[in-house]
Amino acid sequence: MRYKEHIVLLLIVGLGIITANFVGFKVAFLESLPGTLILLGIAFIAFILSKLLPFKLPIVAYCSILGLLLACPISPVASYVIEATSKINFTAPLTIVGAFAGISIGSEVKTFAKQGWKMVILGLLVMTGTFVGSAFISQIVLKLTHAI
Amino acid sequence: MENYTYCSTKERFKAEYKIYIAAFIMIIIADSIGQIKLPIGPGQLLLFPIFYALLLGIIQGPHVLKIFNEKEVKAASKLVIIAICPFVAKLGISAGSNLSEVISAGPALLLQEIGNLGTIFLALPFAILLGLKREAVGATHSINRETNLALISNLYGPDSDEMRGSLSIYIVGGMIGTIYFGFLATICAATELFHPYALGMASGVGAGIMMASATSSLVEIYPAQADQILALAGMSETISGITGIYVGLFIAIPLCNKLYNFLEPKIGNLWGKSQKTQLKSEDM
Repeated sequence: MRYKEHIVLLLIVGLGIITANFVGFKVAFLESLPGTLILLGIAFIAFILSKLLPFKLPIVAYCSILGLLLACPISPVASYVIEATSKINFTAPLTIVGAFAGISIGSEVKTFAKQGWKMVILGLLVMTGTFVGSAFISQIVLKLTHAI
Repeated sequence: MENYTYCSTKERFKAEYKIYIAAFIMIIIADSIGQIKLPIGPGQLLLFPIFYALLLGIIQGPHVLKIFNEKEVKAASKLVIIAICPFVAKLGISAGSNLSEVISAGPALLLQEIGNLGTIFLALPFAILLGLKREAVGATHSINRETNLALISNLYGPDSDEMRGSLSIYIVGGMIGTIYFGFLATICAATELFHPYALGMASGVGAGIMMASATSSLVEIYPAQADQILALAGMSETISGITGIYVGLFIAIPLCNKLYNFLEPKIGNLWGKSQKTQLKSEDM
């Protein structure tokens, strides 16, 4: 995928974020714009890094680390980045993710229906075990390290 | 990963413009509905625009309304990863602005990865009781998102029993995982056994959209700690994304195999033999 193509796709996503932020939270277009551009900028740099760097990390890992670096206390632009992105309600970027994700599993409906109740229950148990197991360990370690 | 599906940006736009337009219509509908709260048992089901969009997307697919064909379905799955990047960036910013909380939670953030193995202890015995054989290992070794599927496929082959189990859970997770994760988070919050930070960290399991759903609910329940929850969930998700494949390869799958070999002879026959063949014959 070329960079230009990626920029176009990110701009579409950005428009989706601004739309969701306006429809859902009544934040005006211009007010959402700087924060959205920052998020898109991070996503774009993450994309470039994931192509250029020799070690393979998931692209979202780069997004997360870049976001952290930009907003951490030693970053000169931290206060601007935090202020601008705080205008974007955190669920606003998610609607377009849901829309694409929904379309992307549209051809699995029949396979899902064929799974039967056993696999559905098993799936629920797998998710429960993963989440609760993790919450349990987090709780214990946070307590032991006096973080809470 | 470099694959030029399209010759030019224009061609891609032409092939996918229907998806973009549909996405905008879905955003307008979903965000107009906004958030809905339904009390269920001790928890509550919090419905967010992401769910309506997901559902609207599914029904437009080739099996229901047939607005989108298989090709567009495939194209959309590549768009998901692009669309989730700004959201993860936003969580990264939360982490940066709450750096001291993130650092003090550092040990917990690293170790909670091990908690993800909880699925093996909870789900594997049940799978064996149901009469599943080697599918059980694929199905229960992890939450079975894309990376886990790739790993199972590499280890056991794309036509293996293990892969069939893995794929089944992948599909179930894709269809109901997002909404279930939100519900799970509210139930766990209602038990009051866990600190909101612990629940935030638990949300990051290596599936971005499930994490998004769980944190949306948690933020609604604990508005005062919203920023810290987002920060920890984002970091936990990032760590899962990086270490998940190694935890799977070196811990989860060997552990799952050990437990399977131990449990299967003991409880594999309890349910009755007739159940076993049934699941195997299901085609994927």
